[in-house]
Amino acid sequence: MSSLIVRKAAVLGAGVMGAQIAAHLANADVPVVLFDLAAKEGDPNAIVRKAIDGLKKQSPAPLMSKDRAQYIDAANYDQHLPLLGECDLVIEAIAEKMEWKEDLYRKIAPHLKPGAIVASNTSGLSINHLAQHLPAALRPDFCGVHFFNPPRYMSLVEIIATTDSDGAMLDRLETWLTTRLGKGVVRAKDTPNFVANRVGVFSMLAVMFHTTRLGLGCDEVDALTGPKIGRPKSATFRTADVVGLDTLDHVVKTMRDTLPGDPWHSHFNSPQWLLGLIGKGALGQKTKAGIFTKVGKDIHVFDPAAGDYRPSTGIVAPEVADILKIKHPAERLNALRAHAHPQAQLLWCSFRDVFHYCAYHLADIADNARDVDFAMRWGFGWNQGPFETWQAAGWKAVAEAIKEDIAAGKTMSAAPLPAWVFTREGVHEAAGSWSAAAQTLKPRSDLPVYRRQRYPERVLGEAADAAGTTVWENEGVRLWTHPQDAGIAIVSVRSKMHALGAAVVDGLLTAVAKAEAEFDGLVLWHEAPFAVGANLQEVLEACQAGRFDELEAMVAKFQRASMAFKHAQIPTVAAVQGMALGGGCEFAMHASHRVLALESYIGLVEAGVGLIPAGGGCKEFVLNAAEIAKRQTGGEPFNAIQSAFQTIAYAKTSGSGQEARDLGFAKASDDLVFHPGELLHVALCRARALAEAGYRPPLRARNVAVAGRNGVATLEMMLVNLKEGGFISAHDYRVGRAAAVALCGGEVETGTLVDDEWLLQVERKEFVALLKTAETQARIQHTLETGKPLRN
Amino acid sequence: MSRQVQEAYIVAATRLPTAKRNGMFRTTRPDSMLAHVLASVVAQVPQIDPGLIGDVIVGCAMPEGEQGMNVARIGLLLAGLPDTVPGITINRFCSSGLQAVADAAARIRLGEADVMIAAGTESMSVMPNMMGNKVSLNPAIFAKEENLGIAYGMGLTAEKVAQQWKVSREDQDAFAVASHRKAVAAIAAGHFRAEISPYATRSQMPGEQGTVRIVERLCENDEGPRADASVEGLAKLKPVFAARGSVTAGNASQMSDGAAAVMLVSEKILKQFNLQPLARFAGFSVAGVPAEIMGIGPVKAIPKVLAQAGVRQDDLDWIELNEAFAAQALAVVRDLGLDPEKVNPQGGAIALGHPLGATGAIRTATLLHGMKRTGGKWGMVSMCIGTGMGAAGLFEVL
Repeated sequence: MSSLIVRKAAVLGAGVMGAQIAAHLANADVPVVLFDLAAKEGDPNAIVRKAIDGLKKQSPAPLMSKDRAQYIDAANYDQHLPLLGECDLVIEAIAEKMEWKEDLYRKIAPHLKPGAIVASNTSGLSINHLAQHLPAALRPDFCGVHFFNPPRYMSLVEIIATTDSDGAMLDRLETWLTTRLGKGVVRAKDTPNFVANRVGVFSMLAVMFHTTRLGLGCDEVDALTGPKIGRPKSATFRTADVVGLDTLDHVVKTMRDTLPGDPWHSHFNSPQWLLGLIGKGALGQKTKAGIFTKVGKDIHVFDPAAGDYRPSTGIVAPEVADILKIKHPAERLNALRAHAHPQAQLLWCSFRDVFHYCAYHLADIADNARDVDFAMRWGFGWNQGPFETWQAAGWKAVAEAIKEDIAAGKTMSAAPLPAWVFTREGVHEAAGSWSAAAQTLKPRSDLPVYRRQRYPERVLGEAADAAGTTVWENEGVRLWTHPQDAGIAIVSVRSKMHALGAAVVDGLLTAVAKAEAEFDGLVLWHEAPFAVGANLQEVLEACQAGRFDELEAMVAKFQRASMAFKHAQIPTVAAVQGMALGGGCEFAMHASHRVLALESYIGLVEAGVGLIPAGGGCKEFVLNAAEIAKRQTGGEPFNAIQSAFQTIAYAKTSGSGQEARDLGFAKASDDLVFHPGELLHVALCRARALAEAGYRPPLRARNVAVAGRNGVATLEMMLVNLKEGGFISAHDYRVGRAAAVALCGGEVETGTLVDDEWLLQVERKEFVALLKTAETQARIQHTLETGKPLRN
Repeated sequence: MSRQVQEAYIVAATRLPTAKRNGMFRTTRPDSMLAHVLASVVAQVPQIDPGLIGDVIVGCAMPEGEQGMNVARIGLLLAGLPDTVPGITINRFCSSGLQAVADAAARIRLGEADVMIAAGTESMSVMPNMMGNKVSLNPAIFAKEENLGIAYGMGLTAEKVAQQWKVSREDQDAFAVASHRKAVAAIAAGHFRAEISPYATRSQMPGEQGTVRIVERLCENDEGPRADASVEGLAKLKPVFAARGSVTAGNASQMSDGAAAVMLVSEKILKQFNLQPLARFAGFSVAGVPAEIMGIGPVKAIPKVLAQAGVRQDDLDWIELNEAFAAQALAVVRDLGLDPEKVNPQGGAIALGHPLGATGAIRTATLLHGMKRTGGKWGMVSMCIGTGMGAAGLFEVL
């Protein structure tokens, strides 16, 4: 299969989705031309420029670093359509008006590059219908690509083929979206709202229906339908506010207009009270009031019965909370069904009606049940899709329960469950997932791109992936190999949140030694998070027992472990995803090479608990500063130290792998991987390549010029001003000064030449001195108890 | 006591319009700005052969990088003055430009010279921060509590002054708005026209096909004053230097680029060439105060120079009091009981900008041309100085 080459892309429509899709393309090193209407007066590109500027301010950030915005060119339909001639991929993301889209397609057609893929990001309109407005010759290269908001962070992209779409083109596009943009692709059928929105919006309607029917408050329903059932914190009604009540109503209207034969059609209406809110202009987050609103510091919720807002409480009844704590899925669902409490009934009825809806429509909307489940995981942030939830709770028993409720007239529609439901034990099994349309099990896609994912997400019931061969293990880590390259060892941390306690540090030291002796390279990899830092509980206990000598020895061992990574005789590759904080960041910094997932949140955050990095983190910044200074005429290490000081004193954490490079936690030569599932594959390949290139470890650093005591004084000036200005406490000052001392290589004369061992001693000494203070101990304790930093 | 042998007179004073940092002089070097004002001031007194100039004294608060290497000498050579004319760069931070005028006058008053040029130049656009290209503090500063003030940022010292002299946020903001209002009105009335030597900037930018494109712009007016400044707008700004402070970007001086030059001559030259002086230089003083309340410096310097010259404060007709911060300017006005009507009648640094070492020379030009227009006898230029000093210069308008 030939590869899709996208040297440049165009996005048509600089609205919320268009601009963010453009941002994500720019993240992936694809230059983008972003189009919108020409402004009526002034700069004709004003609309697009405003959208591009907005990308730099939005949260969560659509751009992996702000300077990416420069790769998005502003353009307008009046002047710049010929620019389309350079674009290999054109994504249309204008407002959902068929006439506007038709008109635009006619306008762009003459300008398109031959062979360019044209795709619509429509969330509801018929892709086949849209294709009719392109010349016949272009139709094989047209399809739907439906991104979810926010597109950088939501994994799902639905690809929707038309009857004319070229199969090879779709495969190339799916491959590209997966590996280049890091997306989870689901092939959807060209039915209204495709898969995720069809099920997701129905799920919201079902919850709203039962909320109204059972007389529950939106706040308590959100408390029930959020993390307690494996769904996002925004749950149901808060999600509606975020989406915009008017937008939601528009989607519901699309369902009403386009699905006249749907047995649930009579429910495709927003509740009256919600229409009332829209009428009043309370549209949700964008108007600062919707179902929820903020009154001062308090959240208030709309009470449909009273027709007004009241303080939001969102209390889950204890008996229902107890049911939700039941581990076994079947028992949990049964208990909900059996319990009379309206909260329990809300959950059972909502699950039931979504199961009913999905089973009924599976044949029309998706190729197989796996696609529906992944669509809901990746597009709506559910931990589990509807089919796997059902299967986990016992397929047959739940099917019977639904059937009973249908017969009793309790369900939202009287439509019977399809016959296949009763012939099966479940929809997912080792051989594949059930296709209702084909009445058979469908295996996963065999596109080569998926072979890059060594441990892809699996739906419940699918065959598990091979666990690899264990070489050695202790309580803290497992050293093992994967069949992809049995010559490269992999070390994975096993502790909770991958905190770095004594067993982990011991394990890593042994792992490096074993890998040096028996393998060609070592990869540090496990699922996210990479590591949340040192085990603070262990540290605090030692402090409270006054075992400071032991603590110093512990820090020294930690330093030995990072130095072992850096100076191992074999290449060491850290595969980082999610949080890599404190000691985790330090281990990553010491590896020979880093493979970073786009979503890598890396930082030396020790200052938050009144400490400084002492696993070699400060030392690495000192070495780096000295290297930079060496390359500049008259260069001085202090210049680079100043920014490192800010990074450490303010505990700055990167918002992406790219920002980790910008902050100095990673190097420009490190790899940035967009699909987290590919991380292990890339790390193994990188370790192998380094080994084959004749890897030699770096020599221990000598003759390192440090900023010394003048540097400390100059950083102290900053601290004096912050403290006198009331921005930091006396203890913040102390912690900041310790960081200054470690980063300036100790209170020695400026320009003194030292070695790495000295730098490690300095940061260790400062670290232990801070540990001895009551304020730092109080900070550690507070963070352990509350998970939040203490300002003292 | 004074061993003065002759009087020093100012016969010309001119300046560039002041630019915002990274504004219209973004690509103009401080030595080029200096060359322009030196050439302009010399051109304003065509009777005097430039070869007669005894020395060119130039104030600059960060004499390094683009304005290093004795910028005075480089500037005067670039201005086309004869190579027989010497030049020296001096630095007393924000009073450098006034110090240059005082030093030039002193040389004449001592009989060592008959024609002198005093100037100031500063580009804050070329400085990476307020402390120059390389910041390095002495560790000894932090060894003693009483020296910590050396390490204080200027904004923090303004907060200390605001606390100690009880200057409210509201008063500071109102003062700042008044500064803008007065400056905008003065520009509209053309009051700065006599003192400004317009400057055509030339920027070389990438053009078509690898050629360099020249972008020219004639700069005639100060860039800082904002007609839309309002108390409501300023009230929204957050304090920058203290968590619960009152000093904001809106009630502090603007960072700017600017330059000015003043020609001083002896009585002998005045008579020889039949020149009409703008003013007689009547005295100068500097005084020290604690570094952490540096903004209060003029409180010490102003009475000192008045006493030296035997002039009463009430006799002052126009006071150019540099607005480093509204907090310190108000504290000085209140502490000394200066007449607010006479202080900065055409606005101050909050609106017009404060190109550190150039400010003293710039405001001397403003004072003398302003008083020439409005009349009056005694004029003063005063400012506070980082690390705790104040300076004041007294002029008798003739």
